Amino acid sequence: MSWTEKYAPKRVEEVVGQKKAVEQFLTWYKSWQPRKRAALFHGPAGTGKTSLIEVLGKEKNLEVVEMNASDFRTAQQIREVLGQAMKQKSLFMKRKIFMIDEIDGLASEDRGGTGEIIKIIKESHYPIVLTANNPWNTKLRSLRQYCQLIQFGKVYYWEIIKRLQLICEKEGVKCEKEVLSQLAKRSEGDLRSAINDLETLARAKKQIKLEDLKVLGIRRKETSIFDVLKMIFKTKTAIAAKLSIQNVDKDPQEIFWWIEQNIINEYEKPEEIANAFDMLSRADLFIQRTKIRQNWKYEKYMIDLMTAGVALAKKEMYRKFTRYQYPDKIKFLGMTKVERKEDKEKLLELSKNLHCSTKKIREDFLPFLKIVSKNF
Amino acid sequence: MVDFEVWAEKYRPKSLKEVINQGHVVGRLQAFVKDKNVPHCLFAGPAGTGKTTCALAMANDLYGKDWRANVLETNASDERGIDVVRHKIKDFSRMKAIGNVPYKLVILDEADALTRDAQQALRRTMENFTRTARFVLVCNYSSRIIDPIQSRAAIFRFKPLSEGDQKKYIERIVKGEKLKITVDGIKAILTLAEGDLRRVSNLLQASAAMKKNITEDIVYEAASRAKPKDVEEMLKMVLNGNFKDARKKLQDLLLTQGLAAEDIIKEIHRQIYNLEIPEEDKIKLVDKTGEYDFRISEGGSELIQLEALIAQFLLFSKKR
Repeated sequence: MSWTEKYAPKRVEEVVGQKKAVEQFLTWYKSWQPRKRAALFHGPAGTGKTSLIEVLGKEKNLEVVEMNASDFRTAQQIREVLGQAMKQKSLFMKRKIFMIDEIDGLASEDRGGTGEIIKIIKESHYPIVLTANNPWNTKLRSLRQYCQLIQFGKVYYWEIIKRLQLICEKEGVKCEKEVLSQLAKRSEGDLRSAINDLETLARAKKQIKLEDLKVLGIRRKETSIFDVLKMIFKTKTAIAAKLSIQNVDKDPQEIFWWIEQNIINEYEKPEEIANAFDMLSRADLFIQRTKIRQNWKYEKYMIDLMTAGVALAKKEMYRKFTRYQYPDKIKFLGMTKVERKEDKEKLLELSKNLHCSTKKIREDFLPFLKIVSKNF
Repeated sequence: MVDFEVWAEKYRPKSLKEVINQGHVVGRLQAFVKDKNVPHCLFAGPAGTGKTTCALAMANDLYGKDWRANVLETNASDERGIDVVRHKIKDFSRMKAIGNVPYKLVILDEADALTRDAQQALRRTMENFTRTARFVLVCNYSSRIIDPIQSRAAIFRFKPLSEGDQKKYIERIVKGEKLKITVDGIKAILTLAEGDLRRVSNLLQASAAMKKNITEDIVYEAASRAKPKDVEEMLKMVLNGNFKDARKKLQDLLLTQGLAAEDIIKEIHRQIYNLEIPEEDKIKLVDKTGEYDFRISEGGSELIQLEALIAQFLLFSKKR
């Protein structure tokens, strides 16, 4: 048994460094009723998302049915596997809780996937927990509305040290304080990787010194979206811009909005901005063609236009540091869905009372009614 | 949420005999009601000339108090899909009417917004259920309704209202609301409303909210306050080289206020001629606007296409 399993929390309170998430989760779990919203855990790897469910299962004697979203290739498969499991009574008449891991890994060619999961959430007699590394992935846009988002932050540095110390004591490993501190640091808030590193070192010898740390390889970290943006906005080479998005774990359609957001942060000349946006406009047409024709071959044109096209929209590289921003569009869609729905309902009510379309209400009535009453 | 009455609704005639204008139309409609024999009708004409009002008034005169049970009112602009015709309208039409009129009435407002496919489906429904339902289609342009429907319906053309008729309507409201309005005030309303009674009553109500004693100045003030300025402001920003704020404004219009891209682009097109730029640039911008408008109808995302269009205005900005 690996140490990460051996030292997984035994009780809910033992989940390290996620007080708020645990509280939110328990509140959700206690008030859950059939067909209510699912919980969507999000946060970096190794912060206790899966552990929390497993330990809850043990504590409450639930049968935890775990799956990984990337195992499903088609909507049909989701229906078969999940739908079946949801109907089956638990073997030992236990209550169940479902956990679908890495929901952002739903095969991206499978557009019906999230729709199918939404359907299952709506029908389910058991609570469902989804996990995602990035809940703002555009693929999850519609799914998000059927979920309560629960965020898992990085585990604090000192909490990791505390946990490592405890493991050292139990395993009889002697370890310099500085070693633990280094391990915690390099884990960047990923408790699981810190425990794994400690185990790797401790298997060789029971006394660990600072120099032993050299043995550990550097974890291949994926390129961040910021590196991608830097590449696209600073390069003048088409192929470099085009290849930039290969090592980042984001859907091209999401990257599209990152680029859209940051053109104005990087480019300053009117021609460049006009040109760059025209490239996005053309890329966008290919997104639509992909969708309409259900043919992914068009995606490459979209990618080329939004990367290389935008990169070459500039005359020369700006030698400046640019602070790249999170896309408004994605933030916006997450935030104001509810508000916008209310707005629509207001319009529909007026439209019924005044016998005309919502469009007429907006154009012909609202501008005047706003003068009459502040309620509009 | 409406904590007051909207005058356009309050002063909407409830019966055909209260309708001020459109004498040629009203007389024939009253004859239909008298014989209890209403054919399929097509009401065509400019905005605010009483088309919807006549349809509702006819329904009221025909069925009396319980007209609502026998009337389906839908709006093609909000429900323009073929599904509405296939389900909502069809389900309503096939059921028998209640009371002593043997058919129900379907009022389909803004029918020119229906797609051709939906109109084809509608035509079949109109034929199949003639015994249980009659249709009143309301639209601005009868030419946008397919021929087979036109040939099955009695067509009524609603004319713009004469100044005399508009004045009668104004007086009705002024009396009802105990307002005071100057002669110039009335003139201003007539000029601004362009024969559209809905605008007349909205203008009056907004003016009255500002001051009980309505003068020419108040009317113009109300009209200018109600004029949508967002698009104009947005274009000014970008022509001053400020694309960042223009983009924000666009997002606000499209995402927060929920305006349709189609309407924004229509307004942009209209505003181009008022911009302070060389005449030949206006034509270039019209061409660009058409291009992005086309990309939207090709399926492009509204936000990105409009943003790209606005970005093109930068090429004509003063800073350059």
